Amino acid sequence: MRLRYLAVSLLCLAAANAGAQAKSSPAGKSPELRIDFTRETLPNGLNVIYHVDHSTPVAAVLLWYNVGSKMEQPGRTGFAHLFEHMMFQGSKNVPKGQHFGLLEAAGGRGGADINGTTNWDRTNYFEQVPSNQLELALWLESDRMGTLLEAMDQAKLDNQREVVKNERRQGIDNQPYGTAFEKLEEAVFPDGHPYHHDVIGSMADLSAASLSDVQNFFKTYYAPNNAVLVIAGDIDVPQAKQMVRKYFGPIPRGPKVPPLANMSLPALIGHQQRYVIVDSLAPAPAIYVGYRVPSAKDRRAPVVTLLGDVLSTGRSSRLYDALVRRQQVATNVGGGEFGLADGADMLIFTATGKPGSNPDSLEVALMAELAGASSFTQAELDRARAAERFQFVNGLQTTGGFGGRADRLAEGWTHFRDPNHVNTVLRDYDRVTLDDLNALARERIVPANRVVLIYVPAKKPASPTRAP
Amino acid sequence: MRSANKTGIIALTLVIGALSSAVQAQAPTPPGPGPLRPYAFPPVNQFQLDNGLKVIVVEKHNLPVVEGRLIIDAGAQREPAAKNGLASLTGRLLSEGTPDLSGAEIARQMDALGAQYSTGGGYSTSFADVVALSNVFPQAMQLAAKTVMSPSFPPTEFIRVKNQALAAYQQSHARTQGLASDAFIRAAFDTAAPFSRPPNGTLASINALTRDDVVNWHRTMYAPAASTLLLVGDITPAEARTVAQQAFGGWKTTRASAGPVLNPIRLSTGTRVILVDRPGSVQSTVVVGQPGFQATDPDYIAMLALNQVLGGAVSSRLNTNLREKHGYTYGAFSFLDLRPQAGTFQISSEVRTNATDSALVEAISEYRRIVAEPVPGPELQGLLNNLVSGFPNAVQSVQGLTGRLQNLIIWGLPMDFYTTYRERLAAVTPEDVRRVATSKLKPDNLVVVVAGDLSKIEAPIRARNLGTVEVWDPTGNKVR
Repeated sequence: MRLRYLAVSLLCLAAANAGAQAKSSPAGKSPELRIDFTRETLPNGLNVIYHVDHSTPVAAVLLWYNVGSKMEQPGRTGFAHLFEHMMFQGSKNVPKGQHFGLLEAAGGRGGADINGTTNWDRTNYFEQVPSNQLELALWLESDRMGTLLEAMDQAKLDNQREVVKNERRQGIDNQPYGTAFEKLEEAVFPDGHPYHHDVIGSMADLSAASLSDVQNFFKTYYAPNNAVLVIAGDIDVPQAKQMVRKYFGPIPRGPKVPPLANMSLPALIGHQQRYVIVDSLAPAPAIYVGYRVPSAKDRRAPVVTLLGDVLSTGRSSRLYDALVRRQQVATNVGGGEFGLADGADMLIFTATGKPGSNPDSLEVALMAELAGASSFTQAELDRARAAERFQFVNGLQTTGGFGGRADRLAEGWTHFRDPNHVNTVLRDYDRVTLDDLNALARERIVPANRVVLIYVPAKKPASPTRAP
Repeated sequence: MRSANKTGIIALTLVIGALSSAVQAQAPTPPGPGPLRPYAFPPVNQFQLDNGLKVIVVEKHNLPVVEGRLIIDAGAQREPAAKNGLASLTGRLLSEGTPDLSGAEIARQMDALGAQYSTGGGYSTSFADVVALSNVFPQAMQLAAKTVMSPSFPPTEFIRVKNQALAAYQQSHARTQGLASDAFIRAAFDTAAPFSRPPNGTLASINALTRDDVVNWHRTMYAPAASTLLLVGDITPAEARTVAQQAFGGWKTTRASAGPVLNPIRLSTGTRVILVDRPGSVQSTVVVGQPGFQATDPDYIAMLALNQVLGGAVSSRLNTNLREKHGYTYGAFSFLDLRPQAGTFQISSEVRTNATDSALVEAISEYRRIVAEPVPGPELQGLLNNLVSGFPNAVQSVQGLTGRLQNLIIWGLPMDFYTTYRERLAAVTPEDVRRVATSKLKPDNLVVVVAGDLSKIEAPIRARNLGTVEVWDPTGNKVR
């Protein structure tokens, strides 16, 4: 299962919440479900996708800019995300604070409905508002796409730099095991590869970001020809098209976006890696294991997802059943793929031990399960597929916001130039065979493709925690 | 992105030149709203099974998803102080075995249906919750019902889940948020109040729990007449009746009716500042608030409005001050943590270590300002409309609907509460906010809790003279 909306957000409130046409179906089969849309391209290169659903009087506006942390330059890790924060600081006609001020007063909930997120591959911005406020959302998005720099200043940058540093502290530096993802990325992707560093970036690079960086990044990546706009929900398409022309039509096409670095990588990392990290904040040992796997754009991406599921999704998964239930060496397990789009993706598994327990026995048990991970059964595959089927339909309940229908349409366009991708996801899972699953496991879940992080508490816990 | 080299500067100028033409087309003022489309909260259907189980059904058919949530009046508030954590542990153990199915087999069957099944216990109630695609929902609900009605609590699973509960406690207390929230409720409620204790228990209390405790708790507390089943989503009232009857019709347990639990709050004279050490923290969790709020209060709606102004939204005062003005935090918010009889009102934020004292001063000054000064009409209007107009967004998913319906039951509000909710919110005036602010908020009698690295933050906080300063250990004992 893809790790839950693995992106760095403007705000930490995330709540997930639908017109899709659906028919029920017998157990074990994917429901027949279709998200209808129309698409057009404006003369300035802006792609626009419209999806109509009158079931709730809500309209969603969502923009994916085709820029993520993989485009960052050396010495500027974390910049794509810091820049995303700057997009909420006002533009020519929008004073600081008024992006949220206007949208919240219109009925969008900051966080769940109004937010921005940055990941390795893209940056998105969204507003889910009462449908009679659609025009406001389009006006705000067009104002910042067209005029952000006219209202930019050093004070705004300095303020958001501090906010982002606090975000890093909250998510990473002040948390037990907080550095795990960052360290896995560093080890699974070689030095110099665009996925070698995490989206949040380093404190030193955040400190170094300058106002001219903001200006250059905007002019390089923030232009209609490098974005897709989705308008979904309780909308009238001809009217929405008029608004799009009015607000986005006059924004000029930007320069050609620089080509992406070569993202390709060998299938395997090539050597085993094992790191022990003494963590003064951790109350118990924990192990994180990462593997290099086919990317989210690869035809085998659905197999990657299902491989993560058979091992770590649900209480019937291999790792939960073995480590938590039968051997009781772990109190919790987890896992999933990051969903990286280009070159390669990363599939990870985690196991947390009991406080005071020996990390070695946890490691031995986890490695033994992963070593045996190439003899899955049809029942295991079917359970994994059932989990994905549910998650997919469940996510479509929201029009906009995190991972809702608008986001799925934008993802299909940005990654596959195919907004209809949303309508093929379930079929792609249905096609995966047991041979596909076992073959991928044999190829990739191997020591030479493995990074192991062992987190060890710095000190002994205050009291023993054995059950009688 | 790139350093400002010569080419960069030239290109930038060109872009700004080009943008000016775009600006001419852009309207300088925001467009107003179009005509409002109608929205009505979906009808709430209710019926009762012969065994006394109340069933509430709300339809939502646009996607094939259904949620079934059984809530049982068997929350931590009804457990004896010495058995703190029993309701939660019992709830977690429901899915770990029945007379004819092992925990592993239950997990395999639920996962084969693609159903999400979770069980547990909170402050007020225990629950069993299933979300599934509608074609498999009846099967999933039936399996869930078996685990609720006849769990076998296998001894090996008991030990395992108990160890997980102990580990979860330690993981929670390894974080400033867990330390701060436990300390806050201990300070806000009287020691006699069940709400003063963490609902999942403490190391000592969980360690003392036995399998017999769990068996007895289930036998005496779980009963259809003390439970409500919510069925929300792609299911009709007729289908719901069949599902409920098939799943729970055979549940025959009876239980003596239980009255409300007393949860006395602790009224402090002067502000108490409680510090909890978590060495090595680069951020502190700060909580500022007071006990004494409940949803059945006639002023509940006005209190929601007050919360919106202070810290319920991104553009509210707290976030604007602590994040957008000062850069102390990634976010600062306030909320009503409502419970039956008595809940709390809290400001909460994660702030960087060297700004902890300054952030506290700002948070308390915002708390004070909303009592001292009338809220300007336009400010209230916008933030109120956020709740009024944003409500349909919040109930797009079955989970959003179920959560809100559950709250009505737990908080003791009528099931038609949401029918007029938006109208009543829209009618709140600045005078209403002022009335609740002056009558309910006590900015000179606050409970302030800070969890962080005391070697760095204790002295600066003491120097601010915010109130009586106490240092507590993680279990709530005063150290100094």
